[in-house]
Amino acid sequence: MESSELAPVKLSVSNLTKYFGDLEVLRDVSTNMRRGEFISIVGPSGCGKTTFLRIIGGLEQSDSGEARLDERKISGPGKDRGFVFQQDNLLPWRTVRSNTGIGPEINGEKGPEQHHRIERLLKLVGLGGFEEYYPRQLSGGMRQRVNLARALAVDPDLLLMDEPFSALDAQTREIMQTELMRIWEEGRKTVLFVTHQIDEAVYLSDRVLVFARRPGRIQEVVEIDLPRPRPLSLKRTPQFVAYVDHIWKLIEDDVRASVLEEHA
Amino acid sequence: MTTEAHPRAAKASVPATHRHKTQRHKKASGFWADHGWALTSVAIGLSIWEIISRFLIGNKLFLAAPSQVAVAFVELAGSGELQKHAWVSSLEFFWGYTSACILGVALGLVMASSKIAKQMLDPWVAGLYATPTVALAPLFILWFGIGIFSKIVVVALLVIFPVVINTEAGLRTTSPQLIETVRSFGANRRQIFLKVSLPSALPFIFAGFKLGIGRGLIGVVVAELFGARAGLGQMISQSAETFNMPALFAGVTLLAFAGIAMTSSFSWLERRLIPWRD
Repeated sequence: MESSELAPVKLSVSNLTKYFGDLEVLRDVSTNMRRGEFISIVGPSGCGKTTFLRIIGGLEQSDSGEARLDERKISGPGKDRGFVFQQDNLLPWRTVRSNTGIGPEINGEKGPEQHHRIERLLKLVGLGGFEEYYPRQLSGGMRQRVNLARALAVDPDLLLMDEPFSALDAQTREIMQTELMRIWEEGRKTVLFVTHQIDEAVYLSDRVLVFARRPGRIQEVVEIDLPRPRPLSLKRTPQFVAYVDHIWKLIEDDVRASVLEEHA
Repeated sequence: MTTEAHPRAAKASVPATHRHKTQRHKKASGFWADHGWALTSVAIGLSIWEIISRFLIGNKLFLAAPSQVAVAFVELAGSGELQKHAWVSSLEFFWGYTSACILGVALGLVMASSKIAKQMLDPWVAGLYATPTVALAPLFILWFGIGIFSKIVVVALLVIFPVVINTEAGLRTTSPQLIETVRSFGANRRQIFLKVSLPSALPFIFAGFKLGIGRGLIGVVVAELFGARAGLGQMISQSAETFNMPALFAGVTLLAFAGIAMTSSFSWLERRLIPWRD
């Protein structure tokens, strides 16, 4: 988008390489993210997209190259990033409110102001009134909302999302996509979103990084030039479908190869 | 608000009338539905016991009937004899059990947090847990005398192992995903322990405490059998020596009730302290 053209660089990644033993998971990955940008990463299984996200999150170390967030080199987890995991990973003994507030709590931030912030966040993600529920009392979609609210509660500079909707059924997933868009429009956080669903990536993103596998690397960066806010009906427009087709063609061979491998 | 289906939440917002009905329904059939067959079974068992001992054996030196046990129980309680013994046994159990729980949790923590400690302690814990350590009771009486201290030691020795093992296992099996989640927010080791590992191990630790109750009661009685001035075990052994079967059974019955009472109050406490479990 034009506006993000002007925004300063938030995240800069240069020549990131990562091995798991002998396996080269990521080779020489470089990219930049501007403030307020929504970037998705798609690619076949085993293309290193989750590993890439985990390195940015500080949960894994790269073997060479570096990632900088606002000029600071990333060397471990930090409260400047919020991680939304694929599984909701809510602590079963904590209520919705208490789960959401765990990030600020770890950073030693409490008090009435935090309390109100958590309250507002839970309303924002559509969970007003569920503050005192335990995770086991919630549906999968609701648990993912808590997962998102928890990451937002630390007010991160960068929101990292690892296939957060993949465990949800198709309809819930679509709802969650629109919800995420609504929430994102309110705060315009910088978001790095990993998914294996091409239409999800196109629908949500300003840019899509298409990864290839063996070794994992950026194959192409696709600018998504679609107006915002984006209604779900956009998914049926020719432009949208053209983006999805284009990305699918890029990864098709890789996907076929990975599917064959899994069945071998 | 949310548009997707959420069964639990839906259940909570069921119209009040409906909820009321289901509750009433449960209450109406409540006590008898839950306990009716258990009570019937106990009543039948006691009747058979009564019949056998009265009409088939007919010798209370051999087998006392439940009614005779009840009489003995009342007599012993009336003379204050039962209370005296029960008090001594309670003290032994209390001190042995609590010290074992505290020490057991501490040892479990050490084993969970240090690989070296775990490897060093593992053979001892596994070996001593499997050994019927009550067999060592005479030795402890020899060392620590026939007072209550030797019994406290025996009880503690029996209770500590399930507590250690469960604490360690509970801490070790904490979900790595949950730990990673908290770590992603920058939690340090202490925070990870307090906010994730410990609460997630709590149900395991409680199970260890519960296992300890039965073992602790065995410890009290067996240690007292080998030599004591007072206590239910001592009372039981003395009754056996004088062929006072009703008194013997009175002691055993009291122990059984103590075990049941403690186990069920623990279950109650567990539901209170661990409300997130179904």
